Amino acid sequence: MNLNGEQTSEFERRTRVVLDESVAHTDARIRSRLNRARQAALVAAAPPSATYPRKIVWKIHGLMPVTGALAAALVLAVVLGGRYIHHALPVDTGQGNAFEDIDLIADDEALNLMEEGDRSFYEWAVAQDDGTEGTST
Amino acid sequence: MGTSVTLATVYNMPAALHGGDTLLNDTTAESRTQALNQFLASVELKAYRIAHAGLRHEDDALDAVQDAMLQLARSYADRPAGEWKPLFYRILENRIRDMQRRRTVRGRVMSWLPLGRDDEEDEADDPIAQAPSTDPAPTMRLEMDEAMKALEGALQTLPPRQRQAFLLRSLEGMDVAETASAMGCSQGSVKTHYFRAVQALRARLGDFHI
Repeated sequence: MNLNGEQTSEFERRTRVVLDESVAHTDARIRSRLNRARQAALVAAAPPSATYPRKIVWKIHGLMPVTGALAAALVLAVVLGGRYIHHALPVDTGQGNAFEDIDLIADDEALNLMEEGDRSFYEWAVAQDDGTEGTST
Repeated sequence: MGTSVTLATVYNMPAALHGGDTLLNDTTAESRTQALNQFLASVELKAYRIAHAGLRHEDDALDAVQDAMLQLARSYADRPAGEWKPLFYRILENRIRDMQRRRTVRGRVMSWLPLGRDDEEDEADDPIAQAPSTDPAPTMRLEMDEAMKALEGALQTLPPRQRQAFLLRSLEGMDVAETASAMGCSQGSVKTHYFRAVQALRARLGDFHI
């Protein structure tokens, strides 16, 4: 080995001493945090069956066919029920009704009647239904 | 040794006695967890030093090591144990580079914002950090700390691949083949990176007497 090689080897030896010393003297706080990180990693690596008691896992697996059948029945009920409701509900296809509603809402006179509380109008309307008002006038 | 005896015993038992494949799987998983624990314990301090050399920040280095541990445990725990070391260091290096990139972007953004004290100033006010050392040889310890700071400063100036090759070989003690596997390159590239790293460090640190 030439002179340059020997110098390089000595330099490498020194750097390794420094690096090893820095590892050996890592303070307790950092060691503790690394330990916690390792424990968290081990929990993440554990399979689910090791996390839960075996009996509970067995029960969950046993209930899976029943749960699946119930879910399928529920989906079927929603699909059929939705179709029935779709046919049963009246569908407003005429555009005239919508315009009438707009007229009612935009009618200032009707709003004034509600705000003023004109009782005479309502009394007259009730009398019209009873047929008394029509005979007297 | 103990694990192999346990597994052999379980294999030789009738299924009715050992509870079928479930118990066998549990035993295998437990021994795998123990092996993973031993592996992570054996590399965590060196991994922290490597991360710290790349990031120069304690919390960032700890985060990088923790992320690498989690990813190895989640994604590669079922691989043969012999593959863990190169996989772990490759994950760690990727994490270090991600954090360096993020830090660069954050630095550019933060340079536009008026901010108060940073984390290092907070640590300076920490009474625990300010407490006197109980080390029996404080002078020697101080010299080592200074040497480590100088070495970390010099490592910081190296290109990432050179730094990685140097630390994996010098700190982790990997041979050329293991280092090549961890870095995802050829053995020739490892030799080149390592040689250039040593030359650059020597030029920067001089004789580096300790």
